[in-house]
Amino acid sequence: MTVYDLQRIQLPILPTEFRDRDDSSDTHFVPAPCQVACPVGTDAPSYIGYIWEGKLEKAFEAITATNPFSSICGRVCDAPCEPACRRSDSDGPVQIRNLKRHVMDELGASYRLPQLSVTQTETVGIIGGGPAGLTAANDLCAAGYTVHVYEMTDRLGGMMVWGIPAFRLPPGIIQQDIDRLTNRCEGLHIHLNSALGEQVTLDELKSRHNAVLMTIGAWRGKPMGIPGEDHPRVVDGVGFLRRVNGGERPELPETVVVIGGGDVAMDACRVAKRLPGCKHVKVIYRRGPDEIPARRTELEGAIEEGIEFIYHTQQVAIESNVDSLVLRCVRTELGDADEDGRRRPVAVTDSEHDVECGMVIASVGQQTECNELSQHNMMAGDRINTTFEGMCTSDPKVFAAGDGAFGGSTIVMAMHHGQRAAYYVKAFLEGRENPLPYRTPYRTRRVPVAQDIMWEKHPVHHPEFFGLGEKPVDFPEIEATYNRETALAEAARCYRCDAETGSADYAVRHREDLFSMARTGPTDLPKLQTMLQRRLPVRDNPYPPGRPPNLDDIVFLPANLSRLVIDPYREACKVSTDLAGRIELAQPFLVTGFDQAPVEVRDGVGKGLAQSNCGYVGTIPLNDSSPWFQLLTSRETEPSADAAALLQTVGEKFQTPQLERQHDHQILGLAVSSSQLLEESLQYSLEQGLDMMLLDGTGQVGEAWPELHTAPDFGILRDAVAILRRLRREEEIALVYFGGIRSGTDAAKVIGLGTVAVALGVCVGLAVGGQVRDGNLLFSSDSNAEERAAAVVNILKANASEASMMARCTGKTNLHNLEPEDLRSVTISTASATGIPLVGTRN
Amino acid sequence: MVTIDLAELSVRDGNELIRKHGAAGEDVEVTNPDARHHIGVGLISPITVKIRGSAGYFCAGLTDQAHFKVDNNVGWGLGDNMYAGSVVVSGNAGAIAGVAIRGAELIVRGNVGSRAGQVMKAGTLCCAGNANFMAGYMMYGGRIIILGDSGERLGEDMTGGEIFVGGSIQDLGADAEVTDIAADEIESVREFLDRYKISFKGSFQKVVNAGKKLRYDTSEQQRRSIPFFSFSGDSSYWNPKIQEDIHIKSHIGRYRIRGYGGARSLPHLADLAFKRDLSGAGHDDDVVSQVEMHTEIGGKNGANPLKLSMPVMIAPMSYGALSRSTKEAIGIASSLSRIAENTGEGGMSDAQRDAADQLIFQCLGGRLGWNIHDMLRADGLEIYISQGAKPGLGGQLMAKKVTPELAAIRGIPAGIDLRSPSRHPDILGADDLVIKIEEFREATGYRLPVSVKLGAGRVRDDIKIAAKDGFDFIELDGMQGSTGAGSAEVIDYVGIPTLAAIIEAEEALAEIGRRQDVEIVLMGGMRDGADAVKGLCLGADAIAFGTSVLIAGGCIACMQCHVGQCVTGIATQDPEHEKRYQASVEAQNIHRFLESVRWQIAAITQGLGYADVRDLSREDLVAVTPEAAAITGLPYAPEYRENRVPQAVKVN
Repeated sequence: MTVYDLQRIQLPILPTEFRDRDDSSDTHFVPAPCQVACPVGTDAPSYIGYIWEGKLEKAFEAITATNPFSSICGRVCDAPCEPACRRSDSDGPVQIRNLKRHVMDELGASYRLPQLSVTQTETVGIIGGGPAGLTAANDLCAAGYTVHVYEMTDRLGGMMVWGIPAFRLPPGIIQQDIDRLTNRCEGLHIHLNSALGEQVTLDELKSRHNAVLMTIGAWRGKPMGIPGEDHPRVVDGVGFLRRVNGGERPELPETVVVIGGGDVAMDACRVAKRLPGCKHVKVIYRRGPDEIPARRTELEGAIEEGIEFIYHTQQVAIESNVDSLVLRCVRTELGDADEDGRRRPVAVTDSEHDVECGMVIASVGQQTECNELSQHNMMAGDRINTTFEGMCTSDPKVFAAGDGAFGGSTIVMAMHHGQRAAYYVKAFLEGRENPLPYRTPYRTRRVPVAQDIMWEKHPVHHPEFFGLGEKPVDFPEIEATYNRETALAEAARCYRCDAETGSADYAVRHREDLFSMARTGPTDLPKLQTMLQRRLPVRDNPYPPGRPPNLDDIVFLPANLSRLVIDPYREACKVSTDLAGRIELAQPFLVTGFDQAPVEVRDGVGKGLAQSNCGYVGTIPLNDSSPWFQLLTSRETEPSADAAALLQTVGEKFQTPQLERQHDHQILGLAVSSSQLLEESLQYSLEQGLDMMLLDGTGQVGEAWPELHTAPDFGILRDAVAILRRLRREEEIALVYFGGIRSGTDAAKVIGLGTVAVALGVCVGLAVGGQVRDGNLLFSSDSNAEERAAAVVNILKANASEASMMARCTGKTNLHNLEPEDLRSVTISTASATGIPLVGTRN
Repeated sequence: MVTIDLAELSVRDGNELIRKHGAAGEDVEVTNPDARHHIGVGLISPITVKIRGSAGYFCAGLTDQAHFKVDNNVGWGLGDNMYAGSVVVSGNAGAIAGVAIRGAELIVRGNVGSRAGQVMKAGTLCCAGNANFMAGYMMYGGRIIILGDSGERLGEDMTGGEIFVGGSIQDLGADAEVTDIAADEIESVREFLDRYKISFKGSFQKVVNAGKKLRYDTSEQQRRSIPFFSFSGDSSYWNPKIQEDIHIKSHIGRYRIRGYGGARSLPHLADLAFKRDLSGAGHDDDVVSQVEMHTEIGGKNGANPLKLSMPVMIAPMSYGALSRSTKEAIGIASSLSRIAENTGEGGMSDAQRDAADQLIFQCLGGRLGWNIHDMLRADGLEIYISQGAKPGLGGQLMAKKVTPELAAIRGIPAGIDLRSPSRHPDILGADDLVIKIEEFREATGYRLPVSVKLGAGRVRDDIKIAAKDGFDFIELDGMQGSTGAGSAEVIDYVGIPTLAAIIEAEEALAEIGRRQDVEIVLMGGMRDGADAVKGLCLGADAIAFGTSVLIAGGCIACMQCHVGQCVTGIATQDPEHEKRYQASVEAQNIHRFLESVRWQIAAITQGLGYADVRDLSREDLVAVTPEAAAITGLPYAPEYRENRVPQAVKVN
């Protein structure tokens, strides 16, 4: 499937056993294009996120979770994820493979994965120790089975060992993966030098094991089907690579021609170029540079190493001279598309020409040969007769996978086959008929996105390219691994298509649906129909019952036509706040909650408040240069003459306070924390001519961070305003609210509800570096008093700017002119807690 | 010289005659003007028009190349938006003389009213007498010459240009300062005065922008957005977003800015369900041709309507907020799908005009890019009052996006943090709007529909005014609408949701019996055919898509539009980034998205039992949340939630 297929948006049913490895039912996750493009479903976005966070071990776990050959893939995977990367359309794909290589180079040799122990009695025989077979072995061992792998050569790895030259994949890297796998799979038994039909027969395997899996690979090069190809200096690509990877370094003629444009051709030409005697390597390919199937980086690497590419040319015959070969060719042009959608090369008339060379390496495909299976009548042409749906052969006990079953492909595709096969073998062993179709599970590790401010600008980072190196015949590695700095920058480039967006209306599911709609043709009826059924269901209620009222659920009504717009960017809006004619605050804020804070923090906050001319509400003053609103929590507390205000807390029951002004400008007031006490408290305050009332929406003003413990009670504010309104004495006492004010916007809402100012607690605590831990704010020592003071000044200024922006949007030039009429609620619970009508309704 | 007697002709007929004679190159004399509004509006021929008496509002407004001579006084808005050409007024001029001029020479021999030269871009406004308060208010360029005294707050918030004052300056406005005058500048002023035979012996003071408010001083640290569920709906009170906000604000000391639309979950059309079971909808092979969807918008008062192949258009988004190639792709897609595109703020480029078959031209308070020639080649005109994302605020374009090319189209200096005025110079109340609409209609021969864009707030009141003002249609933008940059708190907390907006609009228009007189285009958070049909059911005549169209064209919803270096090349003016956007490829994607929307509208409409989208009604809907039920008055039927498709279903 392509990454924009509906199947990505609406994945097929997941087999139950994969539930713990799949997150596609998470409403905040759609597997990213790269993950879907990866045949083994690698959670690339997560490991890229971890790399950026510096959590390489977590990245390693994410990489290896679905890929037992991660070190190998870090170097030579054909990386179908990269063309799928959405950034390809922009400035080039994220270099997912190189990032993997970075992690594996750091940890591939050392990091231990948990052991996989034997829990089942059944055993499985696997023929062939290549990527398909070993991946299946890995998965079956993970399921607790005992697995015997029979390998015809003297080492494990299959094509990864014999097909890929060391300059791309050093033997040590292969060994890392093999060792990791064999060490952790306790039920894995390896039988080397055990070829099917020679050291072991199919019937033996069937009698020894409960199931058999054939992953025998495709080891023989396909013939070109032209006259002269049986000449001894015409060799096949896989055979050639196998010799060299076995350690030989044959002397080659001066000019070598490689025929074909796939990965084997690329490896063969680059190997030839490095061998003694060879000076020129020419690659002949029958289509053009846009059609060549070789991976772009391999192609570019080959060109960089001086290999000549001859496109639109097809071989027709080989003749031999005395000491050279003559390859007869015709030029081609692209004709109509054939079944696989690629345009067929058509010979141009009278274009015959000769290419002289000393050797021809034919890399036009691979095939499988197995006498044993032929005798059992299990072959279909050059492949094992296998269904992709169940990985079944004609024998119910025998399964097949990999190149041997489906033709030459990539390592990662072979691994996918191995995983599929393991799934069906397991179902067979468990006696489950007709299991749900295999589906690649998609996990996400929900890693936060990289906070690199350059993420939009970082270009693709190409690792340093060494090419042939100083001594080509030693096959030194062709390119470097990212260093840490480069890896971070490349990781930061990731769009993180897996991550939930910051927008509810354009959440990741919506975004991906819209992407799919944009890639659905008007005649693609099934996709249109399915997409409609996907878009019709209603969303979950974002405001489930029981959700407490929230200031977030109040909005401001902007000025428009019925009320004159002011220019919020330019016209001033007054925020200064007069408290009962006794104190003029520059901003409508008081601060509270630092009584028990560390002295360094108190110092910084005190400085900031002094600079901002902002009052502090507490039982002890922060310093003597910012106005202190003394909180009298008991009748025994001595009122201070230094305090700008005396605030007597009203406990659980109203008792007549004894408040006496210590000087003329001192403000007197009560701090009330329950609606039940309002009637008496307000009556008393009005009778006594008290200046202000602190409405405590937390019940614990003065304590450390009560706002972290309880949802703020806005009812107390609503009720206080209602009482004053009933008495028609709203203007006679200044209401100040405390509880859950997080921003200037919150403050403006509460001011609109009827207060003149708000007290800030946790908001300022966070501004000066507090970290929320277990219902408390913890302060670290990484800022000094001046920095904390600046943070206080800034947060108060910012909150004031937000509050005034809100007032200006409603058309007000004085923050204190905000009124309930400027507000609406968006939820019923908030409407009832605040008395502010729901949007769209009349009351 | 031809004489046109306005005692015998209406202004509309008079203007038509003036233009006719103008096209023939014949000068005109207008008699008995009797201070009527809009005289000469829309004239683009190099003729001379002599007005024998006083003219009213917007005399010579929206013109180019013509020369006007007025024997007596003029009302407000003299020479509004005038390009080349001149006006010489023998008497006094009212407020905002020379508003938004882009090259004209205006001479008032008497006094000028307040805010002379507001948002002017180029040209010269010369007042031989005194100027009232705030001359040069928010001017971006050009020259004001005041030979007498100037009133208070001279040059208030000017961005560019120069003001020369021969008399006394009462006081300077915000961000204005007196500076030295070069000899050649004096010479140029003298030359100008000589040319118009104005004698002045005194000396001048020169006032320019002081440059203190053009850029924000501290830059806000860029943060990629955190998942919305961590700060929306059921999230914790002191959630990570709140903490991030507080940390950043404690460094920058002011409100945060970001792009995109509302972040939190709000009551939405998504909280409504269709009454009928639609599981079989769209199984008709050719459902699109079975359902009548053609929609005409804006023809109620005789203008040529927009002809939409379905009740869908593109929401206004500016070249500026978006890259040129993005606007091009959207324009191409709108043509392929036979719907209308909209310029948004900031002018019309040739590329936009060429790409879109039907194009609405938007007019904002800053008059950035506004001009008669583009009006004449538009298919509809729109007066922006506010937008859903940040109602009450003007556009905001950070310096990074104000490139020289963009600045040229808009007529402003490059490289400033552009904060467009939120108020039109000439629209201070509902009655002004009536005159403004009339000016636009005069200028374009009553051909084009004139619409208003309203961010949803006091919709119940605002929409009644809009209807009474005589707009052809109303673009109602709920608070879920997006923006290229705005105060983050305003985006999330100012305005009302789209769902509530359409309900209020319908009820209010029904109350005054005017529903049939005006059409409503609903926008703000619309994503697909299901949203669109729900909007139509609730009464909207058409639906506009903005953000969804961007996403269809490759936007990844990272919400970093304000930064100006959009990774996909959409919300950027950086050429290196813009070239990442393949307009021709994305145009096809957007087109396919629009066609998917068309298919969905058709399938749902047919599934509901209709063959015409006009038959859709609120009877087809139920509400599945208590909020949506309370807002819409629809039956609360949470059992419709049960119709959810399981998370993973087998795909055929």
